[in-house]
Amino acid sequence: MKRLILTICICFMVCLAHGQNTFQSAEELYRQGKFSAALQEYETALKDYPNDPFLYYNIGNCYFKMGSRGLAVANYYRAFRLAPRDKDIRHNLALTLEASGEKLVPAGVPVILHKAFFSLSSAELKGLVYVLFWAVCICVIICLLRRKWSVAFTVVCVIWLMSAGWLYFRLQQDNENRAVIAVPVAEIRSGPGTNFPASANIGQGHLVTILDDKDSWYEVVVSSQGLKGWIDKNALEKI
Amino acid sequence: MYQKLRLFFILLLVTCSVHAQVNLSAHVDKNALALDDELTFTVKVTGVSGNVVMPRLPSLPAFNVYSREVEQNTINGETSLLFRYIMLPRFVGNATIGPVTFTYKGETYQTEPVTVRIYRNSTNQATTSAGNIQTNIQIDPNLPPLQAELTKQAYAHSGEPFFLISAVSDKTPYVNEPISLGVRFYYSRAFHDAPYQKPNVSNLFMEDEGSSEGSQAINGTTYRYNEQRYQVTAASPGEATIGPAGVRYHIGNSALSAFDRIFGGSTAGPEKTALSSPITLRVRPLPAEGRPNSFYGAVGNNFMIHAKAEPTHVRAGEAINVSVMVKGPGNLKATQNLEFPALDGFKIYPAAATSGTANGSDGQIQGYKIFKAVFVPVTSGIYTLPRFKWSYFDPTAKAYRTLQTSPIQITVDPAAKTDGGFNFASANPLGNGVQTLTQDIAYLKTAKAPQDNALAKLSRVPIINWICLIIMALTALFVALGRAPLAKKKAFLTAKAQLKKATSCQAVADIISEYLQRKLRRPTGSLSLKELNILLRKSGVTPATVESFALLWQQLEAERFAPVTDGTASAVDLPSQALDILKLIEEEMK
Repeated sequence: MKRLILTICICFMVCLAHGQNTFQSAEELYRQGKFSAALQEYETALKDYPNDPFLYYNIGNCYFKMGSRGLAVANYYRAFRLAPRDKDIRHNLALTLEASGEKLVPAGVPVILHKAFFSLSSAELKGLVYVLFWAVCICVIICLLRRKWSVAFTVVCVIWLMSAGWLYFRLQQDNENRAVIAVPVAEIRSGPGTNFPASANIGQGHLVTILDDKDSWYEVVVSSQGLKGWIDKNALEKI
Repeated sequence: MYQKLRLFFILLLVTCSVHAQVNLSAHVDKNALALDDELTFTVKVTGVSGNVVMPRLPSLPAFNVYSREVEQNTINGETSLLFRYIMLPRFVGNATIGPVTFTYKGETYQTEPVTVRIYRNSTNQATTSAGNIQTNIQIDPNLPPLQAELTKQAYAHSGEPFFLISAVSDKTPYVNEPISLGVRFYYSRAFHDAPYQKPNVSNLFMEDEGSSEGSQAINGTTYRYNEQRYQVTAASPGEATIGPAGVRYHIGNSALSAFDRIFGGSTAGPEKTALSSPITLRVRPLPAEGRPNSFYGAVGNNFMIHAKAEPTHVRAGEAINVSVMVKGPGNLKATQNLEFPALDGFKIYPAAATSGTANGSDGQIQGYKIFKAVFVPVTSGIYTLPRFKWSYFDPTAKAYRTLQTSPIQITVDPAAKTDGGFNFASANPLGNGVQTLTQDIAYLKTAKAPQDNALAKLSRVPIINWICLIIMALTALFVALGRAPLAKKKAFLTAKAQLKKATSCQAVADIISEYLQRKLRRPTGSLSLKELNILLRKSGVTPATVESFALLWQQLEAERFAPVTDGTASAVDLPSQALDILKLIEEEMK
């Protein structure tokens, strides 16, 4: 048993050290201006740590330095979903979106409200809703046994319902089929094919919502520009 | 005053530009010749006008200059002067013609020195063995293969007044390897009207390398010859052929005699044709082993590479023209274009390559190819363009060689204006002592993200939700269905436990009273015995048990309120009696 624990510990340490080495070597390449080599290192590490927000953030930085704003936005967004309170992630995402003519905080929404809405990650919010649900259950049990409904039960119930609503809106936003323009210029056409005329050109980094999918084309809406049309799948990076 | 000054500067500029256009060059018609051959040394001056003085030749100990001629050409208003010197070599070995100086309007110009190699004369020795006379041609072993082969063929035709020969420098070249083809027309008598027909080739590219004249003594006869040089390169491995070249000529000095001119008709000799022998080449493929990725098809040696970037100091988003030029023997037109490697921080837009040929000072064709690309830096910083690699196959060493350019440093300043928001530079005035120059993304994260906190971890155990729901449901079920029977059952068990410990009638009475209160779900303290009996009967207790209970109750009351004997014995019996009656009530009550 002791040997097993020792082996597991050693394996864990090796994995941890490997992860840190990757970060160090990739950072060295990044500092030397070898962004594509650094990107490769981070993408390799991503296979081992698919939910590490800092990896997505660093990948976004590499893409940004390579001039691929669209792919940078996509990766910053992935990082933002996992760690919305991180100031660097928020800063880079806001800056890159701004460069593309988009905004992180929708017009008319106070920044403080946006920050509050994204003060917890979806996983944390789900955990909070779970805990509150358990509290509600305990309160119900106590009240049933005591045959008396307390004020505490009411308060917990209200908080739980509010959290559940918050989670609902967050999940709705997370599950929204969003993508970003990943090529320098994408053409928006009136139909799913090159035989339909291009109605507009849109630069990289713009956020779009995917409505439909046909062959190698997506029907999208560009909310910030009030555009709707079809874009080649290769021009988009799903977030 | 200002206008005069401007005029003066314009005149000065024009004068400078006129001076700058003067060009002086020198070349020889062949850079390898035999001692009995002649060399034509040409000095070319362009960009001059008016009277000019002759160029001054350097000391030429290795040559005798026996002829000079001047040729003036004016093409598109540009005048060029050709000074030709025909020279005879004096010694075997390397001979250098030093710089020729030319003075024009007070300025002195110089040519580059030219080196030629002079070989011994070839001889034809006749030897007799076993009655047969055999001729043995003695050729300078240092003579280049092309000259040696031409000389050998010329000796084979000795005695003929006119003959045409051709030879190549290498009969087994590699694909794309440039080799020389020489076609010589020898004559020892006068001729006229001799149109030349160049050879047809298959599987070969042929480039004109120029022509030359010379003389050669073969077996005592002095021949003059006209030589046409070509550079040929094979397109693919296998067999390649060079067809016969031809010269049609008429013997004599003129096509028409004086008689013919007056009376018509022709007495000129018949037209004759001299043909060279066809040549078959065996073209070797390039070895696949050791072929580098930067090999684009060039074969030869003495290639050079040079990279240039203009400008080297730009702002982000501005274009930098990068050109890489390779130079070397042969025609580089057929080689593939250099692939510019991807470079971080730059967008690269390759442009079409240009190529061309020029005759070198040694008379051989020098090819060049210029690869161009526009590099656009994305962000500011100091960058180094890497060494661009370009490989070629060296047929002498039978190995691939790789050339590389020197790295070029590029300084990129932040962009001056935004390009749709990419450059974040903002011109915030100096308000609070801080001026924002530019905004950039935050630096990398240098370590992994911290592990998930407790809330995030809890989100991964949804089973707890189900457990809570089940517990809540069970509680509700319990409250709805099982609470009252349990309370009733619990009342008897409690009473039983308490009766076992009871030592007085008062205690027994209290236990029974509490038991009834729980069972009947109403306070019993204020009820009379009669009312209790009625309630018990309504609860399903039999009259006999009710009667027993009434007796017990009366006995307890009597013991409590009017004891007549020592109560200790009764108190011992009463709990057991009470327990028995409660057992009956428990069993009979609904």
